[in-house]
Amino acid sequence: MDKQIETYKDIKNWKESEIRNHISDTVSLNSFHDEVMKAVFSLALKKMNKEPPCRFSWFITGSGGRREQGLISDQDHGIIYEIENSECAGYFSSLGEKLADGLNISGYPYCDGNVMASNPLWTKSIAKWEEQLAYWLKEESWATIRSLQIFYDGRSLIGEEEYIRHLKCYIHQSIQHNPNLLKRLLENVRHIKNSIGPLGQILTEETGTYKGSINLKYTAFIPYVNGVRLLALKEGIEDTSTNGRMEALIMKSPYNEDLHKYIESFKQLLTYRLLLMNDVESYDDAHHLFIKNLNKEKKNEIKKILKNGKRLHQYVANLIEQGVKSWL
Amino acid sequence: MDEMFYLNSLWTMLAAILVIFMIGGFILLEAGSTRMKNAGHIAGKTIFSVGLTFLVFWAVGYGFIFGGDGNFFVGMTDFFVSGAESGASDVSDAVFFVFQSAFAAIAVCIALGGFAERAKFPVYVGFTILFSAFVYPVVAHWIWGGGWLAAHEKQDFAGSTVVHLTGAMAALAATILLKPRIGKYNKDGSANNLAGHNQVYTTLAVLILWVGWFGFNAGSTTSVDGAFFGYVALNTNLAAAVGAVAALAISWVVLGKSDIVTTLNGALAGLVAITASCAFVEPWAAVVIGLVAGLLVFYSTKFFDKMKIDDPIFALSVHGAAGVWGTLSNGLFATPELAAANGGSAGLFYGGGFGQLGVQAMGVFTAGLYAFVASFIILFILKKLMNGLRVSEEEEIMGLDISEHGNYGYPEEFLTEKNNNNKLTS
Repeated sequence: MDKQIETYKDIKNWKESEIRNHISDTVSLNSFHDEVMKAVFSLALKKMNKEPPCRFSWFITGSGGRREQGLISDQDHGIIYEIENSECAGYFSSLGEKLADGLNISGYPYCDGNVMASNPLWTKSIAKWEEQLAYWLKEESWATIRSLQIFYDGRSLIGEEEYIRHLKCYIHQSIQHNPNLLKRLLENVRHIKNSIGPLGQILTEETGTYKGSINLKYTAFIPYVNGVRLLALKEGIEDTSTNGRMEALIMKSPYNEDLHKYIESFKQLLTYRLLLMNDVESYDDAHHLFIKNLNKEKKNEIKKILKNGKRLHQYVANLIEQGVKSWL
Repeated sequence: MDEMFYLNSLWTMLAAILVIFMIGGFILLEAGSTRMKNAGHIAGKTIFSVGLTFLVFWAVGYGFIFGGDGNFFVGMTDFFVSGAESGASDVSDAVFFVFQSAFAAIAVCIALGGFAERAKFPVYVGFTILFSAFVYPVVAHWIWGGGWLAAHEKQDFAGSTVVHLTGAMAALAATILLKPRIGKYNKDGSANNLAGHNQVYTTLAVLILWVGWFGFNAGSTTSVDGAFFGYVALNTNLAAAVGAVAALAISWVVLGKSDIVTTLNGALAGLVAITASCAFVEPWAAVVIGLVAGLLVFYSTKFFDKMKIDDPIFALSVHGAAGVWGTLSNGLFATPELAAANGGSAGLFYGGGFGQLGVQAMGVFTAGLYAFVASFIILFILKKLMNGLRVSEEEEIMGLDISEHGNYGYPEEFLTEKNNNNKLTS
């Protein structure tokens, strides 16, 4: 960052001018996103005109948390702060709002699901976070289980890394005490958009400007991301990226035998997503891969990625269901 | 007058009621397949246009089809039908007239499907009058009223060509002249799915049409003699059933999902296709005819989308493509016995050679061409007279309920405080 950053608009301009230098690999791109979001945080903090009243962690989740952001992605984040009192609550709620607005101006659109530090559900003292997680685990409703999955992809961007580690540890322990929870988590992400037809053909969008394309996010990423997250929850893996989680899992049995081909496919998938970025203009563009433009070899590769995503998902489901059965 | 006369008349009257009730099916089919902002208009205009059709049909339509002093083109007596019984027929003339009026109304419903969501209301009025006077009766006379195709013994038991293809060709002329709805096609040529607002309506519509079709096909016996209507009903039911199953299967195989809209269209396509052949073929052939219709309607829908012909309620595929197939299927599957009993000769697969198939093809071509050209000319004239067929862009976007009729089909949906505020400030 060479020039002086004074407004969110400055950050947006800087992001837009620099981001294309980082699209050669996912790691570099996500480090850049981190840098940009940290700049947003600094500016938001400056606008508070007051230092934080206690220690805290600003964490990001979703694709950012997993270090899997593309060129354009929306914002998902929350805050964990140390001390439970009204002064801290007021301060971080206000900071959360500034962060959400700032990110939005800087090119990270508001989150449709309202997973933002401006939402009191995602900004709490560590004590209240513990209570909330306990409630989410106990309630086991569709929405609370979904929130747990989102939280589990979180990583600290600013502040105390220890806070989120502590809270995740709490989730992991709860699961170990009650393996049935894993099944509940599995049920929550059981749906995969069908991507291969009965004749083995790739099922593409039928209408609209994306006709002939597949939505990589829903047909390819989601099965890998959700499947691997479940394994991470089961095994208490700290890493938040799907790739990192798989690398960690593969050190353990039985994954050391089973996961290799899925890791390979997921890496290929990331490469395809990077390829897409060369002519991306909108959030939807970033997810749609036009199948018609691919040669036969590439088509088969995509097919394999899609099939392996489905297989991985099934593999995880079997593992969890068997695990629950043996525990019972 | 003997018992058979009364029984035939009663059966035909029952069938007429069933066919008129099919209009309810069209109301739900069209309303369900289109958007909320046009629902009241689409539904209401059907009642109005059917009323108009009955009047025109009484005045001139029936006479053009069945009147005496006929030429190859139309009949020239029996205008302003008196309802007096001639005593020459084994079914009541008045009942037969009501039954035939219902068929004309169905043809109008199909044709107007091509106008959906963008035509001006006066265009419906003008077209309904001219179509039910000069388009439908001409084709019906050719095939059913002793016209030139009847002389060739063209087989069309209940109207795959006469009713369905004629209606569909008018719809085609309308869709071409009206052009696609706003938002249907993108700049890059890709089509958007302007999904209908109520799939439950559409589904219920298909069931109503399915039931009504027993009047349409089995009723076209206009006689209880030998209870042949049962055989016709059997074939009709089979074709509808297999049409639905085939369409569902093809959508699953190609799209990877069991598509509801395709399934519904498949049932209707099966019904349309068997309409010509229901009295001429064996049940196994009815299954084949329905099966092909179910597959055909799926690809036909894709074809019209690709050709940039915006067909909101699938009239061209369901009534046009399936109507053509159904008519041609006679030339393949008609059995010698049933052809002997009901007219024409056996089909290709029963040793009849290409004779009947040729007649069927000629019938499809000439009737289809006449219906298209005549409808096109009518609409072209209306376009000049009415300064365009289509509502303005603004009217289309606000919806025809409010722009054409000043009322919403779903008032609570549109008359919110927010919308009212918008209106005040705009």
